Amino acid sequence: MKMVTIVAGVLLVFGFVWERVDVVRLGYQIERLKTQKVLLERERDQLQVKFSALTAPERIAKVATEKLGLVPSQQGQVLMVHSPEQVPGLSPPSVEQVRLARHESTGRESE
Amino acid sequence: MTSGPSRVRRYVMLLLLLCGFGVVLFRLVTLQVLQAAELTAKADRQHQKTVSFEGARGAVSDRHGKVLAMNVEVPSVFGVPTSLESPSTVARHLSPVLQIRSDEIERKLRQDKSFVWLARKVQPEQGHRLAQLSLDGIGVVMEGQRFYPKGPLLAHVLGFSGIDGQGLEGLERRYDSHLHGEKRVTVLQRDALGRTVFPKGLAEQAPAPGHSLTLTVDEVIQYIAEKELEGAVSHTHAKSGTIIIMEPQSGAILALAVSPRFDPNVVAALTPDRWRNRALTDTYEPGSTMKTIVAAAALEEKVVTPDSMVFGENGQMVIANTTIHDHDKLGWMTFSEVIQKSSNIGAAKTGMALGEHRLYRYLQAFGFGQRTEIDLPGEVNGLLKAPKDWGRRSLASISMGQEVGVTPLQMVSAMATLANGGVMMKPYVVSEVRDQKGGLLKEVRPHVKRRVVSQDTARTMTTILEGVVTNGTGSKAAIPGFRVAGKTGTAQKIDSRTGAYSSTQFVGSFVGYVPAESPRLAMIVILDEPQGEAWGGVVAAPVFRRVGEQVLNYLGVSREDTVKIAMAMGDR
Repeated sequence: MKMVTIVAGVLLVFGFVWERVDVVRLGYQIERLKTQKVLLERERDQLQVKFSALTAPERIAKVATEKLGLVPSQQGQVLMVHSPEQVPGLSPPSVEQVRLARHESTGRESE
Repeated sequence: MTSGPSRVRRYVMLLLLLCGFGVVLFRLVTLQVLQAAELTAKADRQHQKTVSFEGARGAVSDRHGKVLAMNVEVPSVFGVPTSLESPSTVARHLSPVLQIRSDEIERKLRQDKSFVWLARKVQPEQGHRLAQLSLDGIGVVMEGQRFYPKGPLLAHVLGFSGIDGQGLEGLERRYDSHLHGEKRVTVLQRDALGRTVFPKGLAEQAPAPGHSLTLTVDEVIQYIAEKELEGAVSHTHAKSGTIIIMEPQSGAILALAVSPRFDPNVVAALTPDRWRNRALTDTYEPGSTMKTIVAAAALEEKVVTPDSMVFGENGQMVIANTTIHDHDKLGWMTFSEVIQKSSNIGAAKTGMALGEHRLYRYLQAFGFGQRTEIDLPGEVNGLLKAPKDWGRRSLASISMGQEVGVTPLQMVSAMATLANGGVMMKPYVVSEVRDQKGGLLKEVRPHVKRRVVSQDTARTMTTILEGVVTNGTGSKAAIPGFRVAGKTGTAQKIDSRTGAYSSTQFVGSFVGYVPAESPRLAMIVILDEPQGEAWGGVVAAPVFRRVGEQVLNYLGVSREDTVKIAMAMGDR
């Protein structure tokens, strides 16, 4: 009985020490993660600004026209195709029909 | 019994001791009582340091969440000269990283100070390189900097903030109480060497960031407006220009462009003239666009009908000893034609038929002479005199857009009222305010100001204004596939030297809405002092067409003929 009490006491002491050590270890881990979080948030903000600058319409238009050689759509080149839900009693036109309409509107001959 | 001299010595010693104690006591009282407050403060200054912390300023986004302004922490570099052994060596290492001349850095590091800024708010890459150098006596701290990633886009609305993060112009100023982060003052202890001891857990107590704003503005529509306005100002060599695009049903501002533009990231070298939001701070005489308002009032009061006949006096009419001219020798015409042909004489006669008080009442009802109460700073009332202050010619002059000063925002707001069936909405640019966790703090709902004219009058005006574009002075505003309603305006400016109307300085404008049958946009285009042909129908109407066409495409609004094509295909 005495032996059991001593073993239990020693285990209790070990358990207590282990718990304290673990608390300290977790404390360090929390601090490290907090620092990491701050750094990641900072990096996120910097990337957000960079992303926002890169997606500015002015820049995209410049890249599209100067690098890719695109031109703004001309009159009649844009046709809105609505789904049947948006236009009552209208069945969806096929891709060929849309292409045909676009060519007709720009005055080109259909293929 | 002590002898005489020894007793004298004792008394002298006692006296000296008393004097000594007296001096000490006096000094103690001086230090502890008389100078206590002053010395305590001095000691506190040596051992304590008061530091002000402020949370990051909130972000500003467009209606689709695209970031237009936000804060980012960037490195600032400082030096501690007292702890440096060789300032010249350190300066040589720092120079290529900071891109500052070595002798300039060395001069700062040789100062007899315990702290000097070497470079504030540098690029993050520079901060990383400095950290790698790991120089003794050189440190890096993070500071918040305001960025406007889209550059000049929407700059006149956004405004800008100062070095200490306070809003100075535009939305940054108007919503400063929401945008600025929480301010917190903390007292830190300093050790014997004057180094600050940061208490544990300070980082956890970081002040909360400011609230973020979501705008009604769409960055793509804003870009289209700015691009076309810049092109028009450059093409016509105008002094400045303004475009406002509004959603008639809600009053939400979709775009507000002012030329010349400025970059809010770099305002130090600019003058206030450059960042002034002319759309609400500047007034102009609207000229013929005002005839729209007079016509709506006359129709509402049943003074005229669209088919009423008006005689154009063959282009000349004398009122109060002055002659009013029309651009053509106009004879008999319908009231609709008065507006479509923009007859000054026809408008003057309409105004006179309405009378001073009725005209004044309608001008007020359409929002002239008072702020629209938009949520932007610097808005002015405009100039609308009370009838008691009108001269003999005022009724005629005001009817054709003279003797009255309006802001571009007031004019587009009045036109949007007709587009909205006669109901005036309050214009606004901020739709939501959210806290740092994204929780909704404030949602701005469309606000009805008042009904100005009946739906019938608004509908009749739409038909008349469509005629301006199909048969009248605004033909260059026509957008293929859409019905456009609008009015041109060409106003002479007052010559500041002579005080009379200038024959060379004009304001050309076009204000209207599209599609006329179900308006999605109300828009005003103004060009101030265009060179060469300055008619609103020549300089401003084409800009309306170009902007309108692109914006309607972007919004996915169907052209009338598109529907017909699709339906024809659907029938096959």
